[in-house]
Formats: sequence, structure tokens, C-alpha cells
Amino acid sequence: MTALPPSAEIGDHASDVVLAATPSWWWAAFAFSLLLLLVFVVAAAWLFIGGVGVWGIDIPVAWGFAIAEYVWWIALASGGTIVSALFFLTRSRWRASTSRIAETMMICAAAPAGFMPIFHIGRQGFFYWLFPYPNVMGIWPQYRSPLLWDFFALLCYILASILFYYIGLLPDLATVRDRATTRGKQVFYGVLALGWRGAAGHWSHWRGVYLIMAAVMSPMVISVHSVVGLDFAGGLTPGWHSTQFPPYFFFGAVLSGLALVLMLVIPLRRLYRLEAVITPYHLNALGKLLLVGSLMLGYAYAMEAWGPLYGGDVAERTGFLDQISGSFAPSFWARTALNVVIPLLLWFPWVRRSELLLFLISLGVIVGMWLERYVIVLASLSRNYMPAKWGVFYPTLWDWAILAGSIGLFLTLFLLLIRLLPPVAISELREMAHRGGAA
Amino acid sequence: MKDGARAALADWRRRLRGQNGQRYWRSLEELIDSPSFAERLREEFPMIAGACEAAPDRRRFLQLMAASLALAGVGGCGPEPDSRDLIPYVEAPEGVVPSRFRHYATATTLDGFATGVLLAHYMARPIKVDGNPHHPASLGGSSAIMQASVLELYDPHRSQAITRRGEAQSWEQLVAMLIERRRSFAADHGAGLRLLTGAVTSPTLLAQIAALREEWPELRWHQWEPLSRDAVRGAAQQFWGGPVEVIYDFTKADVIVAIESDFLSYAPGHLRYARDFAARRRPAETGVEMSRLYALESTPTLVGAKADHRFVLSPAEIGAAMRFLAARLETSGEAGAAPPAPWLGAVAEDLARHRGRVVVHVGREQPGETHLLAHAINAKLGAVGATVIALEPIEAEPVDHGRSLAALVADMEAGKVETLIMMGVNPAYAAPSTLGFVEALRRVPLSLHLGLYADETAAVAQWHLPMTHEYESWSDARAYDGTATILQPQLRPPATRCSPHRLLAVLAGETQPNDEAILRRYWVGRRGGGDFESFWREALRLGVVPETAARPVEHSPTPPIAAAPVAASGGGSGGTTVLFRPDSALWDGRFANNGWLQELPRAFTQLTWGNAALIAPATAARLGISVEGTEPKTAELIEIKIGDRQVQAPAWVLPGQAPDCVTLTLGFGRRQAGPVGSDIGYDAFALRPGDEAWSGAGATLRRIGARVQLATTQGHHFVAGRDLVREGTLAQYREDPHFLATAASAASLYPEYAYDREAWGMAINLNSCIGCGACVAACQAENNIPVVGKAEVLREREMHWLRVDLYYAGEIDRPRMVFQPVPCMHCEHAPCEVVCPVQATVHDSYGLNVMVYNRCVGTRFCSNNCPYKVRRFNFFDFSGAEGRPRDSWNPIVSVRGRGVMEKCTYCVQRIRTAQIDADREGRNVAEGEVVTACQAACPTQAIVFGDKNNPDSAVSKRKASPLDYVLMEELNTRPRTSYEAEIRNPNPALEPSA
Repeated sequence: MTALPPSAEIGDHASDVVLAATPSWWWAAFAFSLLLLLVFVVAAAWLFIGGVGVWGIDIPVAWGFAIAEYVWWIALASGGTIVSALFFLTRSRWRASTSRIAETMMICAAAPAGFMPIFHIGRQGFFYWLFPYPNVMGIWPQYRSPLLWDFFALLCYILASILFYYIGLLPDLATVRDRATTRGKQVFYGVLALGWRGAAGHWSHWRGVYLIMAAVMSPMVISVHSVVGLDFAGGLTPGWHSTQFPPYFFFGAVLSGLALVLMLVIPLRRLYRLEAVITPYHLNALGKLLLVGSLMLGYAYAMEAWGPLYGGDVAERTGFLDQISGSFAPSFWARTALNVVIPLLLWFPWVRRSELLLFLISLGVIVGMWLERYVIVLASLSRNYMPAKWGVFYPTLWDWAILAGSIGLFLTLFLLLIRLLPPVAISELREMAHRGGAA
Repeated sequence: MKDGARAALADWRRRLRGQNGQRYWRSLEELIDSPSFAERLREEFPMIAGACEAAPDRRRFLQLMAASLALAGVGGCGPEPDSRDLIPYVEAPEGVVPSRFRHYATATTLDGFATGVLLAHYMARPIKVDGNPHHPASLGGSSAIMQASVLELYDPHRSQAITRRGEAQSWEQLVAMLIERRRSFAADHGAGLRLLTGAVTSPTLLAQIAALREEWPELRWHQWEPLSRDAVRGAAQQFWGGPVEVIYDFTKADVIVAIESDFLSYAPGHLRYARDFAARRRPAETGVEMSRLYALESTPTLVGAKADHRFVLSPAEIGAAMRFLAARLETSGEAGAAPPAPWLGAVAEDLARHRGRVVVHVGREQPGETHLLAHAINAKLGAVGATVIALEPIEAEPVDHGRSLAALVADMEAGKVETLIMMGVNPAYAAPSTLGFVEALRRVPLSLHLGLYADETAAVAQWHLPMTHEYESWSDARAYDGTATILQPQLRPPATRCSPHRLLAVLAGETQPNDEAILRRYWVGRRGGGDFESFWREALRLGVVPETAARPVEHSPTPPIAAAPVAASGGGSGGTTVLFRPDSALWDGRFANNGWLQELPRAFTQLTWGNAALIAPATAARLGISVEGTEPKTAELIEIKIGDRQVQAPAWVLPGQAPDCVTLTLGFGRRQAGPVGSDIGYDAFALRPGDEAWSGAGATLRRIGARVQLATTQGHHFVAGRDLVREGTLAQYREDPHFLATAASAASLYPEYAYDREAWGMAINLNSCIGCGACVAACQAENNIPVVGKAEVLREREMHWLRVDLYYAGEIDRPRMVFQPVPCMHCEHAPCEVVCPVQATVHDSYGLNVMVYNRCVGTRFCSNNCPYKVRRFNFFDFSGAEGRPRDSWNPIVSVRGRGVMEKCTYCVQRIRTAQIDADREGRNVAEGEVVTACQAACPTQAIVFGDKNNPDSAVSKRKASPLDYVLMEELNTRPRTSYEAEIRNPNPALEPSA
């Protein structure tokens, strides 16, 4: 454990980060992310003009990158919820240093996850038909479909995430407002702070609401991934039709979410000079969690193999054997190595203390998780029940453009938020420093 | 010409510039306001043109419009609005009833032989073709080519203008030229005048030609079909000592030996043969004794796929086998020579046991010797007169087509041909390359080509004249058994299009010929007295002319040749034998511009938009070509060389192909077929030798090293351990009819739904399915299924609602083959329905799994969840991009837009039509009132559809069969589509386990 700096110093530094002139690394990163965002806009525009046929999807592989990336992004978003909400409930005090970065990441990763289902469908203009709204047609959505519940779960999750993030920000926004020196900034942060005066009543209500939100968010992160898992478990497709998908997807979410937190925290603590607040101790803790996530996912991978091989269903078995030896085999083995083999290095404390290795392992996990979704979605569809209609999927330029563009969307949002809003939870850290605690 | 067109286009562009505002136009001419448009407007709509030219008075204009609309309704009563004498098939012509189809009989020809069809008209537009149940060659069944004929009728790329060396000419100019020419014909008695046609059975055309010959005795008429039946014709003529047409009765055949036979695929009368054959192959359904079919062939045929025993032989081995069989049966069972293969003895014994009830049928591609031997065997076994019937010739003037064309080319080269008139043929593309037809044609002082398309021949000929489609003109033609049909026009063609009758009439000196009058003149003359009008009406109504079937020939055949010539054909010289075969969809290439046929998956390769060189697995191994499939399908290019001619073709490893035989399909590689069909595949005609038309020996194969993608719709032909096709033997079935039944649990947590009215269901008999693909084409025609093109098929986005899967079983060199048509299963527990978030696919109260296109948002979860993979998705706006004339679409079926899922509906539009009728009369829909498009098209009646709740319905009876099964029963989806397991009838002597 390392001692935190004095509370005033934390406040000064954190609000300096917000109020000071924009650093040049930020401009460089922002320019790069804007470029990727442009790719996103062009890819989306071309998709709307041309139709989903611009992608490589076909019959039988009717779902492609959009679904894989939806699952991928929503799982990445979960890291924020886990670090910030779940560990808030367990009173794990180390979370305070990284929680804001994790929450920001959560909001930003949810954005591409929200776009993907809309991009995915054939008639994007009618996506709102999934809402149960009264209409002249007298038609309601079909409540038996996992997709509908997925839509609800995603919507609730995104709304709750934004609320949770914003409520957590309130006292810090007030701090920045108070320290702001220009009229414009005062008004901007003043409006956002919703008139926070730091009164005892404010604090009391705030703590209550924050606790409730954390208590709501924690089961929600489990449910949202379970419902995403049900999209597959509910499908009558070899490789999908398995009850293990809800926990499987949650395990994956834990792993990939934590990996993304690590990937963002490691450079940011240097760039924002937050070494005093985010210490090797925190990285070590995240590294251990990453290992736990990887072990959980390893269990799910073992079960994924067990089912088809033990179950005796010929379609399930053929499908699985094709995954491990057919055209998807490179992806299958790459995801296995990246997600559950290489992270075993985290058993060694020196690995968990090396920022570079942590960063690389996390990057590997994020790539590995993308491959996992790619294999789950595409390989299963390509080896379906009907051998006569077995087929393959070849991504087009536009598939890759949407992937690259979604990263651009994430990065742009993330850079904007960490530039405009405090990147660490000032009030929480100050409270801890004030109590003389160690983080 | 090209420069002129370019200049015109540039001129139009210039005029169009600056006309981008809110201005609507119907044609380019109107847009640019050319004087020719005004002129055309005056010709077409004199009233409106007048109104347009006068001061525009809106009220007056509207009056005119209303009047013309009302009159349009009156005018649209028949196929040809201004004729009062058209006779509809069923109903009296009391005016068009909107929402009702009316059917008109006519016929379509291939090889010159007619197959009767009914065209369904909707508001005077022909929409859908089906076989004419009254016609002996169809009995209601149809082929894929027939189904697609309506698309050809509407093809906007058909030739429109009379041209002379590429310059547009008027009809009057043409007539003037021909009338002028008549003088020179008269001068030399027609010695310089030649006619070139395909095979002709039209009595009227024959009469017209006969009249011309009378006028100019020196006139010569050449007939030539590139996929000629010369061997069939020649051998029959030799055997019977005169021209005959041999037809077969498969209902009486207990044992059939098929030598690479086309009796299920494209022999004249094949639809009838298929029906007759299938009638003897349904042991569970009919109880009729099952026939046994042996197939001896070098390359898979539809017959081979249905055979109880299929023997893969090289062409030389086929000849040897036939000689052995003939010799063995000649010596009445006594062991003469030892059989070349042990099984041949068993086949000979089986044949001998069934005297008088056998058919030995030989495909047109086999040499004349094999045909002669087959006739000898048939005669020896007493089949001639029983199952093999020789008729008086059907073709107007049977000649050897190969020789006829060669003689013409020789005369052309010798400068003896002054005027050549080619009608409905395309020799510049399809004539043997060694013949040098094109060079010879250039020497002819006056050449005139009458054709549907401005094709390769039109490009070389001086004059090109657009020909009327068979559905646009009056004509007549005879079926495989001689029955005549009078072809009546279904649409009025543009005035520049000309029929062969009209052209010959002009040649005969008429300046204003009328097709109908020509036809009537002939038939009045032929029929003599009596009430001609009622005869004529009845013949048109039924689509057959009564009492026109050919009579069996009186004389018996000349004695069978005792010692068959030993000259081996096609083998011995080493190297690879090239087998040239017609493409089952494009035929000789004449249908190349038809998107439905280009995209029709071929039976054995499921290949679309291109052809391949079919090689045996053993040949592939010899060449070092991998047998392993790739995804998507790619194939190595090989060079096939005979002498100094060569083609490059993708090598397709085909199980069941004879080693060292490479099959090339003709009809591809068209250079001027139109925008759809040009430059698709390779042109096998380029390699085809002139003398030995159907095969070429001594070819060498060489790998080139490049790979190309092939647009196939089925990449895997093995069942991968799944219970998809069930088959067994007749002996097993007799022992225990339920030997293939399984007892899967049908438990469900949900309460059962009571289907208290009709419960629609379909049953498909795998015994009857011959894999011809007519159902696929029929479904495409009925349901407005778009053509997606090669690139999209390569992306696995073909839209066919119904597919015919092919599965192999057994050894790769000689596999058994099973065809399985797969439409939507209409599961009672439909997995697609529960996953749609917007209720776009739901169940109706008749058990149909219906698709609500308007509600679909395109999540595609339904397709993922369909274990049968029968759903199709509009990845693009396929229908809009197709460029097909809107008036050819079936108006009672929705055209689907981009982003919408679709699938087989069991032809719900037909169901609803019948239900509305039934509701109005307060009854249930009767059996037979609803016939799906696939069911109607199927030549073998493999598909039946109807009400499962009606115990007397055909579908209920089929589903009660012990052989009835559903796909993937273990998933408990409860499909409404079920299959009857295939039963084979192997010879116990050859398959002791059976």
C-alpha cells in the first residue's frame, strides 16, 4: 500500500488536468481518433446507402462483424461497471483511483455497442419497431425473442451507465467549477454541477443515490451479458444452443473489461502524471483480477468443448471439430492462447508489476476476445445443421471499416470526456486522503 | 454504326443537359422532344396526339384519357387485342376479370418438337407458363427451360430492329428487297437460294417450303441443330429401312437399360417419359410393380442418378458392353464370349427374363452403332411394338443435320449460294469450328438472318430480322408422338418482328402476309370440309389438334445385324476422351441471355453462371488436382487440347465420372448473347470436332496453375452423418415396410394448436424426384424471385426459395446419388418464429409459417435459427437491380425490397385465391384446388400439396406412407413438408445383401 498525497494536492492536480491548456499528446491522439471516426462515418453512410450487402454476410452466415463487435464492445464496457460499481459494493478502496477512467471507458464503449445492432439490421430506419410503443398497426414486439430482451437490456444498461457516471461526477464537477477562472468554464461546469454546494444534505443524498446506483449496476452488468448470451443460447444453431452462454459471456466481459481498463490506465497515469494516485499497487490489483477473469473464461472454454464432445449430437460435434481444425482454426487457437494461456503469466508478481507486460497481455486479451466473438458468431453459422448449405464468410473492406471506425468512435468520445471532465474521482480520493487512509 | 450511335448519344446528352428539373418523362425521345416522338405518338395514340397538339385543354384531355382507359379494358380481352377469334383455354371470353388468371394453350419447341404449354394471363399479360395437361408430351409437367420461357418473352435485350449491315431498315425496305430478289430466283429456278433452319416439325412451315420448292425447284433447304439427333435418326432409319421416329412406353417397361440416356432430361418427350418412368417407381404409393433401371454411362445423367445400378464406363467400354449384350441375347442366353465385366452377365439375364417388357434406351450422344445394337436388342427381346414403338416420321423432312450443314458450307465456299436465309439458328456460334461457317458466310452475296437476338450470326449476316418469340406468333408444331399443336400468340409483337411463316410468305410473293391466315389456309386445306371454325376453336382451346398423332409404321424392322462391327469408337488411341454435352439449362447457348436459366443450379454441380470441365476423381489424381473442396468453390484451370484446338476450363472433380473422360458442356462462352449471357463460361464449341460431334478422342489435359471461382450453390454433397436422406431397397421394404421409420419423441411443453380448417402440408417423394430443376425455375417465375448474378451467388446470396440438394453415398468413383428438393418446411414448432423480435414471421391458423415483409426489419435471426436453411435475405435491392420489365412480374406476389427476409410461402397467393372462392361458397377448399408452382411444374409428380386434415387428400395419403419421414425429426420442429424415402430395386444377383 502506498500513501496518498494530501487531499488538497489531489484536488489541485485533478482540476489542473481539466483546466490547464490541452497537452500536445492529446491533440495527436485526438487527431488520430478523429480520422478513425471519419472512417466510421463513411462506413456507416455507405452501409445506409448500399445496404447490409456491402458486408461479407451471406446465407448461412447471416450475422457477421456487427454482432461480433456488438458483443465485444458491450463486454469491454463492462470493465467500468465491474471496477466502479461491483467493487464499490465490496468496499474495495483501491477502486477509487481508477474508477473514473473505468466509468468513462464504460460510457464510451457502450456507444459503439449501441450502434452495432442498428447497423446490423437490414432496414435500419425501422429499428424502433423493437420498442413496445403503442402504434396504429396494433402490433407489439415479440416477447419470446431473445433479441428483444437484448435490446431492452442494452438500453437499460446504457441509460443506467450514463446516470451512474454522471451522478458520480457531480461533486467533482463542482470542484472544477469552483477552480475555474474563466467565465465560460465556470458556466459550463456550473451547469453540469447542477448547483452542487457541498452541503451536508447534498452529500447525504448523493451517497445514498450512488450506493443505490452501484447496487443496480452490479447485477445489471451480469444480466446484460447473460441476455447477450441468450441471443446465442436461444438460437437453434449447433455451437450456440447451450445453456452455458450466459455465464460464459459474463466471464468474457469481466476479462475484456478489465483488460481495457488496464490498457487505458497504464498510459493515462503517465500522461496525466497521476502516478501518485494510480500506483503499481492498483495495477497489481487489476492484474490479479485479470487473471481471475482469464481463469473463469478458461473454465467456460473447457465447458464449450465438453458439451459437443460428450453430448453426442453429430451437428454439435462436427461444428466444434471444424472450429478447432477447419478454416476457423487459426482464430480459435489464437483466442485460446490470448485469452486463457498467455494471461497465466499473471501468476508471476513481476509480470503484474511490469507496465509493459500488463499492457501487452491486456491488448492480447482484447484482440483475443474479438476473435472469440468472431468464432462464436461466424463459425457456428457456417457449420449448421444442413451440410448442403454449409458456407463461409469473407469480410469485405466495409466490415473492417466498421471495426476500425468503432474504435475511432470510442477513442474520440473517450478523449473528449477525459479532457473535459475530471479523469479521477477527486472527491472520493480526497475523502480517503483526509481520513489518512492508504489507497 | 458504332460511331453513329456514339454521335447520337452525344447529341442526346447535349440536349439533356440543363433538363434536370422536376420534369417527368416516359422515354428519352419525349424528354428531348424529338420530332420522331411526336410522330410516334401520332401513330400510337391519334386522339391524344391531337389533344397534345391542340391548345392543351385539361378537361378535354381527361375525357380522352378516361375513354382510352375504358377502351383499354375492352381491348385487353385476349392475347392479341385486335383479333376476335382467340379461344381461351377454359372459360368463355367474357371480358377480363381482374385478380383472375386466364389460361391460353400454345406450345414451345425444342429440337423442333412441341411441348404443350398453358400460359396464365393476368389482365392480358402472360405471366406464368405451365405444361398443358392435355398435351401428350407434357401432361402438365414442365422443364426449367419451359418455365423460363416467359422471361425470354419479356427480355428487353431481344432484337428489335431490322438491320442491314448494322443500319436500321424498315419492313417495307426488306419486303421490297425480297420481292426484287424473286426475279433472280425465278431466273435460276432457285438454284442460288438456300434456307437454313433448325429441326422443323411444323406442318405449315413444311407446306410453305414445299410451295416455294414448287415455284423454284432448285431451292435447297438445309436443317441443322447443333445438338443434333443424327445418330438417333440415322440408326432408326437404318434399322427400320426408312425414316421413323422411335418412342418408348416406360409404363410397360420392367427392365430398362439406359446407355447414357437422355430420356429424363432432354430427349423429345422426356417430360412424358419421366412421368411414365416415375409411375413405376412408387412401390409404397401405388403398389405397382417397380421397374429396374440399369445405367451405363461415362458422365452422370439424370437417368444414372435414378438408376438401381449405375455402371461407370468409358465410351469404348460402353460399345463393348452393348456388343456383348447383343451377342449374348442373340445366342439366346447361351454363353458366347465371356462378359467384359461380370455384372454384364447378370444384366443380360435380367433382360432375357423380361421379354417384351424391356427398354434399351440410348442417348443422342452415343454413336450410331450403339443405337443400332440397342434396337437389335429391343427387337430380339420382343420389345419392338410393345415398349418400343416406331412411328411415321414426325420431323417435316428428316435429314442428317451434320451432313446438311456441311453440304451447305461446301456450296457456300464453292460460290453456289447467292442467297442464304437462316431462320432461328446461330451457326456462327454453334457450328463446328472446323467447318469454317463464318468465312463461308461472308462470301454469300445476300445473307439474311431471322433470329430472336442480334447474335453472332446476325453480326456476320448482311440482313438481320428480329424473329417473333414462339409466344408472339402463330405457328404449329408436332410433339414427340406426332400430335400437332397450333401455337397462338400470347402478346402482340412489335411490327418489325417477323415469324418464319411471314418471311416465307414474303418470299413467296405476298406483300402483306398474315400469320394467322397462313396457318388457317394450311389447316383448312388439311382438314377438308366440315365445321372448320369449331374445329379451330377446339384445337386452340385444348392446345392439341385431335387425331394428329403419328401412326406406327406398318413394316417390321430389317433383321438385326448379326455381327456387329468391331470398330471401336472414341477409344483406343490413348489420351483423354472429351465428351461434349448440352447444358441442361442453356441448351446449345440459345437461352444464354435468360437470367433464370443462367442462375439455375445444374443438377450435378449446382453450378450457376458458368461451366466447368468435369473430370473423374481418378483423373484429378493423375493430374495432381486436389479432390478436396474449397470454400468458396474454386477450381483449377486446365487446358484441354485436341489437335491444334484448345480451350481453358475450370476442372470440376465429379464423383461418378468415368476416368479419362472429360465432359464439357456446350452453350457457354457466347460472344453476342446479350448483356446477361455474353462471355459467361468457356465455349466448348470451339473444341468440338466437326466429324465426330459428341466426343473427341486423344485429348490432352494440362494444368495451367491458375484457379478461378465457381458460383455453386451447394458446396458439400455428403450428409456428414446426418439423417437427411433415407433410402433402402425394395426387398427391405417388402420384408418390413416400416424399416426406415424412427420413433422420435414429439413431447412439447406448449399446448397443441387445433387446426380446425385446412392444415396445409406438402409431401415430396424422393423416388420420383429426378433432379431436373423445373420446380426451382417454376418457383422463381411464380414468386418474383430475383436473379442476383454471379458475384452474389459467389457470396452465397442466391435467392431461390426452393433448392434441389444432391447427396452422394458410397464410393467416390461410383457413388449413389440422391436428389432432395428443399422448400420451407413450414414447421409447426417453427424455430424462426420465436426469435423474430418484431413478429415479422408468424404462424397462421392453417399451419403456414408466413413472412410479413412489411414488418421485417432484417435482423436475420430467423435464418440463423432455421435448421433447414431455407430463408433468403435481400442483402441488396435485388429486385430493383434486376432490370426485368415490370410487366413480367407476377402481380399477385409482393416484390420484396432491400433488407427483408423471404422464403417459400407454399404459394400462399394460390392458397388465398382458393380460400376466398371457398369462403364465398361457404365450404372448405377442395382437394386439388391449390396447386403450388413447384407441384404444377414437376414432371414426375414428386411433389404433392394439400390439406392434411382431409384424410382423402393426396398429401394425407402420402404422409401415411410407412416411408414418410421429416428432416431433423430430433429437433421436434414438426415440419409440414415431409419426404418419402427412396426405394431402389437392385438386382439380387448383383447386390446379394439387398
